[in-house]
Amino acid sequence: MTYEAMAKSRELAKVVSALRKNYELWNYREVFLPAIAEYKGKLDKGTKFAGNDEFYLIKPDITSQILTQLKHVETHKFFYFSEVLDGGVKGSWQFGVEYIGGEQTWMIVEVLTSIITALEKLGVYDFYVDIGSRRIWRQVTSQAPDKEDQIFEALYHRNFELIDELELPEKKKEEVWELFNYRGQNPDDERLSEILSAVGDSRFFADFGTVRHRPYYYDITFEIYSPQVGEPIGGGGEYMYKDRTSCGFAFNVENLLAVSLDTDGVARKLVEGDLHESFLTARKLVAEGDYVEVNPCK
Amino acid sequence: MQIVLPRGRMLSDSIRLLRKSIPGLRPPDDRELIYRNGEVEVLLAKPADVPVYVETGVDIGITGKDVVLENSHDLFIPTSLPFGRCRLSVATLKDDMVPVEQMDGYRIATEYPNLTRNFFKSIDVPVEVIKVNGATELAPRAGIADAIVDIVNTGNTLKVNGLKEVKTIAHSTALLLVNRISQKTKFDQVNELIFDIRGVIKRESK
Repeated sequence: MTYEAMAKSRELAKVVSALRKNYELWNYREVFLPAIAEYKGKLDKGTKFAGNDEFYLIKPDITSQILTQLKHVETHKFFYFSEVLDGGVKGSWQFGVEYIGGEQTWMIVEVLTSIITALEKLGVYDFYVDIGSRRIWRQVTSQAPDKEDQIFEALYHRNFELIDELELPEKKKEEVWELFNYRGQNPDDERLSEILSAVGDSRFFADFGTVRHRPYYYDITFEIYSPQVGEPIGGGGEYMYKDRTSCGFAFNVENLLAVSLDTDGVARKLVEGDLHESFLTARKLVAEGDYVEVNPCK
Repeated sequence: MQIVLPRGRMLSDSIRLLRKSIPGLRPPDDRELIYRNGEVEVLLAKPADVPVYVETGVDIGITGKDVVLENSHDLFIPTSLPFGRCRLSVATLKDDMVPVEQMDGYRIATEYPNLTRNFFKSIDVPVEVIKVNGATELAPRAGIADAIVDIVNTGNTLKVNGLKEVKTIAHSTALLLVNRISQKTKFDQVNELIFDIRGVIKRESK
């Protein structure tokens, strides 16, 4: 391992230990999956290679990997930490969370609330979450089905020109414009209002311009960001898994590092004294669930 | 607000356009790569680097569609701009011209390996792509490639180097780029600039 990799590992560990603790407290279970998976059409991302007349993927997208591994359709609450490759040798470090088969609105509110506690555990208070709705856009495009691809393409890139050039009745175009620039207003949508009011945090906004580039999201999508870093620190949304409503998201851990305080996210109890007493005390504290730091007596 | 502009042929058009929305915006002094102009900080970068700057935190940028398409960047592209028009074409030595469909096994030199691979994949013609960093026209003359894929403006550079255009594979123009997070955190400011620029373009096209 190079010096650079070790330094990065130290940084990643600070963030991940706090995130791990947060999701254990919310009753999520960590999943560990093989770094190499047999190539299947349902697997997303990863770097493809061939061996023994078979195709494989190195470090594919974990959500798709989890979903291909699940045998039983029941409620699952998972989290994972992994590097995900996207065709090359250098990937991005993701800390992801999946809630599969929960009650639709309670599940999304729980996931969004867990994001608040996760970020605050890392000392990140200056963050925002924009929430959009794919359902709302589907309602718009259902009246112009032949324009659906163009409208979504315009949304992904926030392309004013494509919207302008759409051959739609003026009234419909105005509706698209309004949704396109809808951010921070009280949503005229019962479900989104219910979610925002249940989360009850002024850092969460309705923004119909927030549309994630994954076709499997069926309604709520969201993006987590901070003014301190120019790239999103995470994002996700709702999807269907074998007819069960599910919700997943991932933090981009490298972007999260850029905004988190220089802390490992936990308050540690300092244990000092002689060798025997120190470790006796530390053992009791750890058994009770406290974080400890044992200082050798000099 | 931070704006990154492309050094080279698109710079003067970019400044001219932006000056109509940001009065008093001045061009850079000689060799200046970053300067403050009132509320705006202007950065100058290689056109291919502009999307990287915008993707990672600079609020606004201008560069060619060719470089944006070459690497998939996670950014907003609110509008195209009325300058920097050119085309991306396949060219060969003028005495060795064959249709692109017959280029099976050709070695293609280009600054745009992804666009080139995608094009030949789309017509199901397997080729070997080699990446060069400029002066692409040299590759067939030096015998290291059978053809090139490069930006063509007037066609004069190809002609001077004994090459001929075989097929246009994409058209390019300048694009306005916006950082995804700036679009959220500076929503009104960014939207105002986009609407201003689009207004200028509409007025000038009449």
